[in-house]
Amino acid sequence: MPEATALRSPSTPDWNALAERARTRRRMTQAVLYAILIVTSLPVVLPYFWMVTISFSATSGSTDTFVLWRSIAILVPTIFVIAGLQQGVADPRRRRRLRWAVIAVAFVALLAFVAPHLHVHNYRYLWNPDIVEDMRGRTGAGGGQFPWVWTAFGNSLLLAGAQTLIVVTVSTLAGYYISRFSFAGREGFLKSLLVLHAFPAMTLIIPIFLILHWTGLLDTLTGVVLVICTLELPFSVFIMKGFFDTVPWEVEMSAMTDGASRRQAFFKVVLPQVRVGLIAVGIFAFIKGWEEYVFVATMLFEKANWVMSLYLFWVADDIMGVDYGIVAAVGVFYVIPSLVLYLTTQKYLTQMTLGGIKG
Amino acid sequence: MARIELEQVSKSWGDVVAVEPTDLVIEDGEFVAVLGPSGCGKSTTLFMLAGIYAPSGGSLRFDGQVVNEVEARDRNVGIVFQSYALYPHMTVHDNILFPLRLSKMPRSEAMAKVERFAALVHVDELLDRRPAQLSGGQQQRVALARALVKEPKLLLLDEPLSNLDATLRLTMRTEIKSLQRRMGITSILVTHDQMEATTIADRIICMSKGRIEQIGSPDDLYLRPNSLFVASFIGAPPINLVEGEAENGALYVSETRLPFLNGGAMGQVTLGIRPENISFAEDGLAGTVAAVEPMGRETLYILRTPIGHFSVLQTSSTKRYEVDASVNLQFAAEDTLLFDRASQKRLDGVQVHLP
Ligand SMILES: Nc1ncnc2c1ncn2[C@@H]1O[C@H](COP(=O)(O)OP(=O)(O)OP(=O)(O)O)[C@@H](O)[C@H]1O
Ligand SMILES: [Mg+2]
Repeated sequence: MPEATALRSPSTPDWNALAERARTRRRMTQAVLYAILIVTSLPVVLPYFWMVTISFSATSGSTDTFVLWRSIAILVPTIFVIAGLQQGVADPRRRRRLRWAVIAVAFVALLAFVAPHLHVHNYRYLWNPDIVEDMRGRTGAGGGQFPWVWTAFGNSLLLAGAQTLIVVTVSTLAGYYISRFSFAGREGFLKSLLVLHAFPAMTLIIPIFLILHWTGLLDTLTGVVLVICTLELPFSVFIMKGFFDTVPWEVEMSAMTDGASRRQAFFKVVLPQVRVGLIAVGIFAFIKGWEEYVFVATMLFEKANWVMSLYLFWVADDIMGVDYGIVAAVGVFYVIPSLVLYLTTQKYLTQMTLGGIKG
Repeated sequence: MARIELEQVSKSWGDVVAVEPTDLVIEDGEFVAVLGPSGCGKSTTLFMLAGIYAPSGGSLRFDGQVVNEVEARDRNVGIVFQSYALYPHMTVHDNILFPLRLSKMPRSEAMAKVERFAALVHVDELLDRRPAQLSGGQQQRVALARALVKEPKLLLLDEPLSNLDATLRLTMRTEIKSLQRRMGITSILVTHDQMEATTIADRIICMSKGRIEQIGSPDDLYLRPNSLFVASFIGAPPINLVEGEAENGALYVSETRLPFLNGGAMGQVTLGIRPENISFAEDGLAGTVAAVEPMGRETLYILRTPIGHFSVLQTSSTKRYEVDASVNLQFAAEDTLLFDRASQKRLDGVQVHLP
């Protein structure tokens, strides 16, 4: 049969050449990908990096940036070399060894060229309660005393912590109820949750201010916590409802026939399955409370009530021109809790998909 | 360990009636199977017994005590759900342990029991795994162990073997049966597999559209179905049904006259004959072979006759007919079932025969 022979190509393809071509293409793609990732993350990473270097290197009054440039001159090539190793060296053992060598070189270079200029002088506000007054005389913001940074830190922690506790508890209970029980107006309730979230909270600032004023909660942390919780809750409830929806009804019933009360079934069987949701809602609530500025700026006046965002704002406002090393140091201090929180829980956060958004 | 009584028990959600008022008694230690098409209320009935659903009406009694209001956790009922419903965040071991932990059983005793029941359903190798790391059949067996471990007084099985391979299903079936005997647990098995129902159960309940159509031994349902529904639902391949008119002592199907042998009837009557009760013969009802379906030990023939299509089951070792072959059919009068089409009920004691 002539067709059959014609179909079978006379020369078998050169598999080696094809494989080589595929390999090259894959390596090229990866190299381009790395380059793009590095370049696009620079603008994100750079300001933070800058803040950190300034906080550890700036000396009073000076505005020089040589520590930043030196570190960048050392670190950026290091990153590129490591990325290059990833592509260029096939043997994983050798690659790892080379990588460590490069890191060691970079470390030594940093030690030699950067380390001598580092100091913690800008962090002296952590142990000196009167730092701003010392620098500016007693004429700073409102001519008054700055609170010690730890007061603000404590307030922030209290505000964010209380807010997390309330949001997690309420949204868990509400989410469970909405997910499991039908009641008149359930659909409308769900829709209004989302609509509420779509509202820019800023539009409510005057009514909220008045309400707090009338209820005597103005200039108290309690008032601010309640306000932020209220604004956070609709979306959190919605998220938690989505998570509860993914827990099969039979599993809960199974627990109850196994001898559990409804409460035991909830705590021992249902709750562990929405753990990721709890963590996510909790973290977002905490971060929200931690970085809240607008409402605290509007509703807290007393210096004893200041939170970190206010502290940072007033430090910046007061001594920016004088010593931006301190401002950067306060910024670093302010970021650390959020950072720690994200780093310790990112494992759970990345597991989170907005668990089945459905009515 | 419990005698179960349902008296006019029903369940509905608004307009949806899942279970019509039902009377049923299940004796202590009895094993009954529930058969019925999808959506006929089997699971709903089980859930009422388990205390997951409260009946909409009627009274439900365990050993003579009304339990309508008793909570699920106080009923001591073991249940295997259609979807297994294992606890995904616990290992197999902790899944099986869970009911014992809730009953505050001493730890060492509970541990020993978990081991024993895990071995019983052959999951003792898997104790450290999570449900997500198990195959469907393994999950089902874990669910079974979890239901059995607390030695319930009533065991409810909602299609517990549907995901097992044929061999494992057979062994598990035997296991369940012997366990049930040994422990004397009153058990209810929901299944779609008639073989399973007939081999495992003392009695079979056949349900349709929220009603119990018939309760009886496998033989009762097969040989003496009460209604057209039971006759057509039980048996595979399904029974042959031909519709006719009864008059003058005979059933007329098209032009063919089938005289009544015993008794008689008038009006619209349906004749039913099981495929295995029809045989090929020298003479009788003439027909042609429309299709041949070899099924291993037996062969199924689809035949075209003047009174409709018939399926006929023959052992494969007998003479093989090809498509389009002309054949003659015979059936014995005692194998015929006659139903009144208006009431759907079987006409007891009435039979027809070929002239
Ligand atoms: N929670 C509910 N709300 C409203 N209707 C329901 C509910 N649960 C079940 N039903 C209805 O009740 C009927 C019986 O359902 P059930 O689950 O008992 O069927 P089943 O016999 O177990 O079917 P299958 O063999 O498919 O499991 C169905 O028509 C179903 O749609
Ligand atoms: Mg069901």
